[in-house]
Amino acid sequence: MISDPRTPWMPTGIGRSPRLRKVVLGSRAPRQLADWYRHALGLSDVDAETKAGDASLTAGGVELHITYQSHVAPEAAEPIRAVLNFVVDDIDEVEARLVATEAVWVRELERVPWGIIGTVLDPDGNYVQIVEPAREPLPWSREE
Amino acid sequence: MAAPPLGSILLGTTNPQRLRDWYAAALGPEGGGFTEVSPTMFAGNFGDVGLLIDGRDDVADKNPEPGRVILNFHVQNARATAARLDDLGVTWLVEPEEREGGVFGTLVDPDGNFIQIIELREG
Repeated sequence: MISDPRTPWMPTGIGRSPRLRKVVLGSRAPRQLADWYRHALGLSDVDAETKAGDASLTAGGVELHITYQSHVAPEAAEPIRAVLNFVVDDIDEVEARLVATEAVWVRELERVPWGIIGTVLDPDGNYVQIVEPAREPLPWSREE
Repeated sequence: MAAPPLGSILLGTTNPQRLRDWYAAALGPEGGGFTEVSPTMFAGNFGDVGLLIDGRDDVADKNPEPGRVILNFHVQNARATAARLDDLGVTWLVEPEEREGGVFGTLVDPDGNFIQIIELREG
């Protein structure tokens, strides 16, 4: 049995908290979708083999895996169901890049208590948020 | 421009308390649980990524397209995690099974979202 003394609230045997390491986006047009994430957000490919037509991109400690999925419509039915929030250093720079790629804005850049936030659609109609955090910790950050 | 990290994922739901309680019991975020951002929004950390659960009235009770976004959680012990999930009565799409690279299982959360648990084999 593996136990982790840092997480005494976890039942014995589970170990440390799970890590969200990969998000799989199912798409009818995975190549187009992956290209958008490369060009609009500057994500780069993970150095790993993928199935033909799939893409594995890296976004910090998370892999964004884009794959063909026949059971989804060309456009997201409920884009607010799952929203990807990317943390950026310079939101004006990212905004300029998104404008250059003619991204569709759902929410133009707006200052909120925890930073500056904006929302665009990816080519499948998923909501993608960009966030430049304020210097203060996010409201849900753990207290150290 | 440096590639931006994925800082968090927001799940929209009609029943944020139920979804929070399920993720807390099923997977257990770091630090003991979810933080209440507002009465209908909760946040928990799973490694480098936050999971935000947002109560909304513009989604259905069940995800109509669960194959569109699938969250993959790496766990230390897939069998122990699966036993815990079985205790919660979860629905498995794919029971945890040995594959090349480790143990993989796919299940459904109370909103019908698909999630995967993975225990990577070392080496």
